[in-house]
Amino acid sequence: MPHTPREPVFPAPDNVPVANSVPTGRRIAALWFPYWLSEIVMPVDKRMNPYVLAEHQRGTQRLAAVNTAAEACGLHTGMSLADARALVPDMHVDMLDPARGGVFLDKCARWLRRYTPWVGADTHPDSHGLLLDISGCAHLFGGERQMIDDMCARFMRRGITLNIAVADTIGSAWALAHYGPSDTIVAPSGHGPEAVMDLPPDALRLPDDAVDLCRRLGLDTVAALAAFPRSSLTRRFGPYPVMRLEQALGQASEMLNPCVPAPSFIIRQTLAQGVTQIAAIATLAEKMCDALAAKLFAAGKGAVRLDLVLTRADNEAQALSVRLAAPSAEAGHMARLLTTRLERVARGFDAGCGVENLCLAASSTADIQPPQAPLTLGHRALKAPPVAALAGLFDRLAGRLGPQIVVRPVIHASHIPEQAVGYRPVHAAAPDEQIPDTPLSPQTRPLFMLCAPEPIEVIAEIPEGAPYRFRWRRVLHEVTTAQGPERISPEWWPAARQHNSLTRDYFQVEDRNGCRFWIYRDGLYGRETGRPRWFMHGVFP
Amino acid sequence: MREKTYQAERRRLTVARLRQKLQKFELIPAVGDAVFSGFDAIDACLPPHHGLLRGAMHEICAAKTGDFASAVGFGAHLGARFADGKAVLSGQTRQCVSEHGQPYALALPTVGLDRHQLIHIDGADLTDLLWAAEEALSCPAVGCVVLMSLERAPDFTASRRLSMACRASNRPLVLVLGAEAGQASTAATTRWQISAAPHNGWQVYLQRLRGSFAQTPPTAGWQVFPWREQLPLSDGEAASENVQLHTTTAYGN
Repeated sequence: MPHTPREPVFPAPDNVPVANSVPTGRRIAALWFPYWLSEIVMPVDKRMNPYVLAEHQRGTQRLAAVNTAAEACGLHTGMSLADARALVPDMHVDMLDPARGGVFLDKCARWLRRYTPWVGADTHPDSHGLLLDISGCAHLFGGERQMIDDMCARFMRRGITLNIAVADTIGSAWALAHYGPSDTIVAPSGHGPEAVMDLPPDALRLPDDAVDLCRRLGLDTVAALAAFPRSSLTRRFGPYPVMRLEQALGQASEMLNPCVPAPSFIIRQTLAQGVTQIAAIATLAEKMCDALAAKLFAAGKGAVRLDLVLTRADNEAQALSVRLAAPSAEAGHMARLLTTRLERVARGFDAGCGVENLCLAASSTADIQPPQAPLTLGHRALKAPPVAALAGLFDRLAGRLGPQIVVRPVIHASHIPEQAVGYRPVHAAAPDEQIPDTPLSPQTRPLFMLCAPEPIEVIAEIPEGAPYRFRWRRVLHEVTTAQGPERISPEWWPAARQHNSLTRDYFQVEDRNGCRFWIYRDGLYGRETGRPRWFMHGVFP
Repeated sequence: MREKTYQAERRRLTVARLRQKLQKFELIPAVGDAVFSGFDAIDACLPPHHGLLRGAMHEICAAKTGDFASAVGFGAHLGARFADGKAVLSGQTRQCVSEHGQPYALALPTVGLDRHQLIHIDGADLTDLLWAAEEALSCPAVGCVVLMSLERAPDFTASRRLSMACRASNRPLVLVLGAEAGQASTAATTRWQISAAPHNGWQVYLQRLRGSFAQTPPTAGWQVFPWREQLPLSDGEAASENVQLHTTTAYGN
């Protein structure tokens, strides 16, 4: 965003009546993103085209956010989508995701901690902005002007419009950022209340009804409002707008509440010389696990996912990740998992000129519920709780065999036999318990279900009789007993019906040796198919 | 005469003392450390009041290629009795998965298992499976481990190591082997051979039992019908005289 050359004229600091303002020495930067919602979701290459976000409001679709191009076409927030379409037929419309703006703003606040450790959220409900306390930080960037130029340049590269103002108080910085004469304003230190005097009363972060009242009374600047004695203002507006006015003028103090960053559980270790042996790396990882576990334990957290990044001297990085079935802050357990994982990669590991930097992070964590202390210290108290014991076993198994191999059965709501049952990795989310077990009588489903039904050659009565004999995997089986059919129709409700879904007639058959099989005829003779095929689907115990 | 009585008495005492010493090395389980198979005729032949040892390895072999499912059925049935509601770790080799598919969760109740109990290893090397079994045997939440291998049996060293792990943790390992796995020498406490029997039953041979039988098992084995009231037989035989998990002995005895 280009800097406008015109700069508001501030009175020299010595002209400012300092009698009723409190000089604090603080410098606040207020950032305001006027097109935040649309710009964070808009692809950068479409910035020149009209782009709006719509939301459902009282039965109609209204615009929730517009970008600069759309605004130039005469669209504004709150307009109905139908009107907007009539004005600009070729605009791009997306639905608003209400949570996204806040999440992204949080991320942005975290990133802005590169400028100052004290970043707070703007508490005004309708604006997307952030407040930075940059006192004593600006010189690190070569001065306040250079610092905000740097911010503007970085945001512009991301395609985000930014208004920014630096002033002595939160109130005046906010007012200048939102209603100031240019996009980037640096008010000189000790500027006093004059800086905001010419701005409209909206700049004072007043509630809507107070702004309306100001307008009706003809008070169109802050100066007009400030000219009244405070007691009469309080009588008419109530105490809150007066407090806002005093905060903007620097006569009342205001705190900046920083966004508290989530604690990071990262342990780094840099070595003086590179190590090439996996065993040495494993030993180092074990030590790092101790430190990480202490950190996690202090925060009452447990690691759900561990990432170990090994950086070689030539800056090549290799990352290993381990998932845990249950949050754990146990150093021994974490170390064992990492060691198993390291052993697995040992064969293909290329240490090159040596690993110089290790970084172990608990990249996903969860709260740990400490087990309740038992009332009596009997022999039961010494046993580990079974859930934790199982979770530890899952981690060890999945660590060596791979997470997709260690599974638990889940039931799906389907009556197609192969779709009714599936396996889910133990580390995946807990299976849906709402589906009750289908009350099948025992011995109606085989213990082993083949991965895919295998075609068999069958001699059977036409049209719907049981088979007499069949050949499966080149072995001929004479059927002595047959039970069935159990007819299973394809599901009619899936939108895209598979072309090969036919009604199946299942038979339980027993051959001369006593082996029992589950076979089916695919399709009803004469109605669905001329020559139905037979398939082997499972084996009974 | 007196001297003779004295000698006889001394001999008797020595034998009693040696018997007592020997008993320490024999596998005499405490109460609750053994489980009955659930088939009366088989249990009658097992050591009196002991049944099948919990802290031991039990090997179940299929008699022929087509009998593997029956062997797994018998193994899972034993596993469910051993687990007694605790978690069961089951594991299959990759070849077992490709030949027979996976255990079908809806059919697990037929062998006495609940699907929530089951943790399954879906295709791995036999070595990895044995490693997983050893890990699971040391986990207090696991009641039983059932491994299925179609093509290969663990060698004697591995089976010895596993049966010692079983004994140390007092948890059982049920190893189900296909007919092709061969009759390798094994350290298992029991070794069973299973084949499918007509009319929904199993033909069970107890090939090996460490310790002594309470009564000599029939040479032809037992024929057991775990689901006798199911699947009415086509030849009109009355199927109602037997309840679930009870046995009839067709041969021997």
